[in-house]
Amino acid sequence: MIDRIIIDGLAFSLPLFAMAIGGIFSEKSGITMLALEGIQGFGAFCGAVAFALLQPLIPGGTQVIIYPVLAAAMLGGMIFALLHAYMSIRFRLNQVISGVVVNILAMSLTIFLTGLINERLTGEPSNKIWLGAAPRFSVPGLSKIPVIGAIFRDLYIFAPFIVLFALISGILLYRTRFGLRLRACGENPQSVEAAGCSVKRIRYLALALCGLLTGLGGMNFAFTFSANFSPTIYMGYGYLAIAALICGNWDIRRTLFTCLIFGFARSGGYQLILKLGMSSDLSDLFLMIPYVLTLLLLLFLSRHNHPPSALGSDYEYDRR
Amino acid sequence: MKRETKRKDSARRASFARLLIPLASVLLTFMVLTAVFLLIGRNPLTAIYSFFQGSGLGMKSSYTSSSSMLTDFFSYLGILSPMLLGSLGVVVGLRGGLFNIGVSGQMLLSGFTATVLVGYSKLSPALAIPLVLLIGLLTGALLGAVIGWLKYRFNVHEVVSSIMFNYIVSFLTGYFIKTRYVDPIIRSSRQVAANARLNLTFNTGSGLKLVIPVGIFIAVAMAFLIRFYLERTVGGFEIRMVGFNRHGAAYAGVPIRNVMVRTMLISGALAGLAGVTYYLGYYSTMVPKDLPSLGYDAIAVALLGNLGPIGCIFSSALITVFQKGAVYMSSATGVVREIASLVTGILLLFSSLGVSMRDRIRHYD
Amino acid sequence: MGEDAGRPVVVELSGISKQFPGVLANDAISLEIREGEIFAILGENGAGKTTLMNILFGLYRPDEGEIRIRGQAVSFTSPRDATAQGIGMVHQHFKLVENYTVTENIILGLEPLKKWLGLFPLINSKGANREIASLSDHYGLKVDPRLVISQTSVSVQQRVEILKMLYRKADILIFDEPTAMLAPQEIEHLIGVIHELRRHGKTVILITHKLDEIRRLADRCAVLRRGRLIGVYDVASTDTAHLAATMVGQALDLEIHKEEQPLGDVILEVENLTVMQEKNVTAVRDVSFQVRSGEILALAGVSGNGQVEIVEAIYGQMKAASGTILLNGIDITAHSIRSRIREGISYVPEDRQKTGLVVDLSLSENLALKTYGQPPFSRRKILNRAAFRRHAEQLIEAYDIRSGSGQATKVHSMSGGNQQKAIVAREIDLDNGLIIFVQPTRGLDIAARAHIHRQILAERAKGHAIILVSLELEEVMELADTIAVIYNGALRKTAPARDMTMEEVGKLMLGVDL
Repeated sequence: MIDRIIIDGLAFSLPLFAMAIGGIFSEKSGITMLALEGIQGFGAFCGAVAFALLQPLIPGGTQVIIYPVLAAAMLGGMIFALLHAYMSIRFRLNQVISGVVVNILAMSLTIFLTGLINERLTGEPSNKIWLGAAPRFSVPGLSKIPVIGAIFRDLYIFAPFIVLFALISGILLYRTRFGLRLRACGENPQSVEAAGCSVKRIRYLALALCGLLTGLGGMNFAFTFSANFSPTIYMGYGYLAIAALICGNWDIRRTLFTCLIFGFARSGGYQLILKLGMSSDLSDLFLMIPYVLTLLLLLFLSRHNHPPSALGSDYEYDRR
Repeated sequence: MKRETKRKDSARRASFARLLIPLASVLLTFMVLTAVFLLIGRNPLTAIYSFFQGSGLGMKSSYTSSSSMLTDFFSYLGILSPMLLGSLGVVVGLRGGLFNIGVSGQMLLSGFTATVLVGYSKLSPALAIPLVLLIGLLTGALLGAVIGWLKYRFNVHEVVSSIMFNYIVSFLTGYFIKTRYVDPIIRSSRQVAANARLNLTFNTGSGLKLVIPVGIFIAVAMAFLIRFYLERTVGGFEIRMVGFNRHGAAYAGVPIRNVMVRTMLISGALAGLAGVTYYLGYYSTMVPKDLPSLGYDAIAVALLGNLGPIGCIFSSALITVFQKGAVYMSSATGVVREIASLVTGILLLFSSLGVSMRDRIRHYD
Repeated sequence: MGEDAGRPVVVELSGISKQFPGVLANDAISLEIREGEIFAILGENGAGKTTLMNILFGLYRPDEGEIRIRGQAVSFTSPRDATAQGIGMVHQHFKLVENYTVTENIILGLEPLKKWLGLFPLINSKGANREIASLSDHYGLKVDPRLVISQTSVSVQQRVEILKMLYRKADILIFDEPTAMLAPQEIEHLIGVIHELRRHGKTVILITHKLDEIRRLADRCAVLRRGRLIGVYDVASTDTAHLAATMVGQALDLEIHKEEQPLGDVILEVENLTVMQEKNVTAVRDVSFQVRSGEILALAGVSGNGQVEIVEAIYGQMKAASGTILLNGIDITAHSIRSRIREGISYVPEDRQKTGLVVDLSLSENLALKTYGQPPFSRRKILNRAAFRRHAEQLIEAYDIRSGSGQATKVHSMSGGNQQKAIVAREIDLDNGLIIFVQPTRGLDIAARAHIHRQILAERAKGHAIILVSLELEEVMELADTIAVIYNGALRKTAPARDMTMEEVGKLMLGVDL
């Protein structure tokens, strides 16, 4: 049972973590990020469309086309993240409103286009694009270790990407020039401007990175939790990711910890129902757990958190 | 003399600008919609008109025996009421500096509570209807107040907490509906008794049954009431002060905690009214775990309506045309229904950019 | 200073003009600055000095005109271009990242790199720290490279800003009002630093409105008034009074008459007040003082030593961790802001736009910002717009508040000076026994300044108790009856103003033992 808790828990935590890191890039650069929900949905949509188009063309099954599909998802996420960036930077729209607008737009656009594409491809205006299961693998050797080995077992193909990108993100944010300037944009953009760097350019880049990571997370969720792309991709996981980064105090390591808590609470609760033999109706209540947990964590941790000082503030980009 | 005319001129210019932006957003959206229809090979004029036909604002080619343009229109009013009420809730929140994105959850909670407490009872309509409205108001207000209090006391961002509550309420009510109140045939909650529905039924002489939604009167009345509250009362003034500048309002002695909770309480109450007019008015049953997308459309309505209660009457009327007319449009043109949400999404995009432009304009007064 | 004629011109501005919405900040300004000189730009607040230097630093683009550096025409698209030409600037409001270290702030934008694993360019933090340490030694600007900025004092932060320029090998150094936030002894130190920089061959441009600093530092001085260059003067041979007159442009009655008057009853009594900031930092330690009717008590201190926290605790914006506050004998320590306003405290805050006003509301609404809930402004919770209008028109007349559309004007479109007039008008109109002023003349020109000083003295004559918090020692010495010097959250000395000298106050502000 512990094995399943770990495996299923990680399957939820990792994509959530990917999205949360995307959110961290955006918020650390000073742009409020409430649009993860829409960005991950649009990314998943682009990936699903790529899958539907490539699948009949390329033999070799999902193993092979998963890479271009992933690339499509990440690019799709990047496009929508840049839309949010454009509205916030060029139009200086209130970033909370802009984020919610992006979410609603993504939802309506992807649902409409799915129906349209399905109609063209199959004649049936269905609102689902079937994806099937994503390939999984186990790390040889390490996965045989009792208990802890479960971490390395039955991993989705996305997991190593997420871990790699997480490590790169950490180095990028804290050890490179780009990271130093990005974080300064979120604290005091005037100082960055006076140092001769372009706040606008840095923020656009930050949002592009956000989109890439979030698209990855969204595609992951589509493959692992529903095996299709449909309106159910908008399950509020984007908002969970935001809550995770708030509870993680905008720090990558702490956010990972929070995501793990969410994931394990979810899988733990589910295993508990199975173990106790409760009816499946009760499973609804247990699906509530991540959301309740989020609320409680936010309650206790929001007071002492330290968002970037210039987060969401209205900045005059071209004061010249 | 010169100063007077200059002042009148700038006031006129300002109100002109205020109207221009929403009109431009609507126009742009219509243009995009036309382009989309052309791209998928449909006649944009008949397609757009079919939205209006579906909403009872245009004659259909044929009607069934029990329907007419009038019944379509009343049905349209029935779904307009929750849309208008929900948008009023968003407006009050935003004017107070708080984003109530939890309208869907508040609707679910109020609809569920009213259904369970009064929906299956045998009370006469004269008692049931006011009771349903009251319950709707109170449950919505309660959930809203909790969100507002969490923001003040624990600094929990209201967008994130509202969304969490949306899902928590959806799962909770879904569980109870599936286990206790389910009607296995329709797979949703048992139908609400006719006497508890928020409708007034008239049988005209010619055999037509007119079902007038009580909600529309409540909604329009609320629009005027909210406008009066925000512009003319002390409480409304405080909400606006806090919305513009929380720090300055605190300096002026405004009790911020009270105002924030009050703002979300009113906002939630309006969402609660939207919930009962939706679930015990337009519909008579609740599908488990189904969060009404109306909660998000209400945001579009609020922004298009320039964050003004009266503006919301017009913007909700427009957006509802698309929402309600989508089914008829779909059968008339064969285009997927979801284009209606796309219209709302694009309209939301343009109107929010418009709101930001208007704020930019005012700096160079 | 006699060898000027031989030195080459290093900065040449020709016909520089810059228009902002509603105001012509620079009007065809032309001047030349020679290498190695200390050149002052003198003018009132709002004369256009900072705008001109921001153009030289590349933050703004001039609408018209040309800039030549060492004879070459240049066009700056960002501060990076200016830095490449050797120009650096220390702004009035420091541009530092609070949670970065000294080193990180200095290297931002020009970070030294090391190749990790031979491939990936990462920041070389250790090398950077070493470089900063040696730079600070070389110029005598002591800083600890690893300290986080939020833990440092204002004068250390200024040293960091100067090091930013030196790190980029700037040799044309612009200082914008560098002494605004410093105590007298720190000002001395800075003057020494500037002389040292000149000894290293740097050219220094000094923006200021303080005449005695020009006298002590500058070789030549350009006077700006309302965006125009009035003239460039040789400091040694020009009379200070003449410079002052040129700066202001007219003979003004700057005399304010402060009369001796007896002090009345105790209006405010603060006993053992302790205020905490977040993170277990004590902002105010065990402070006690009294203010009497007809008395101006000035809280003097270097910025960030607790003055503002004392005031916020008295007004109710911050909670007192311990101690009591008594207003007219009543303990108000636990009272809300609203009740304190009604019980008799008025407050003109430092930040006009974020605190003192709600700029999206109209002038009449702002003038009734604290009284809207009472008759005649509202009855039974319904607002009486006519009463707002009448009240506003009264105050506009009495206090000469200028705005685009009268009482209906949205405050954000009013000038800073008129916004301040509105706040002062409102607070005085409340006719409260205690009135607090924090930095009331910040950013205002001489005439407006004198006007506000007169208003403060008028309140004193009425028998009100006044607390004045100001970073400008001249203002403090001019107005105060009693001076309380605050250092590190504690009151070091409270004494009648006539018994204290500026030097003594300065030393106390810096924590120097007497």
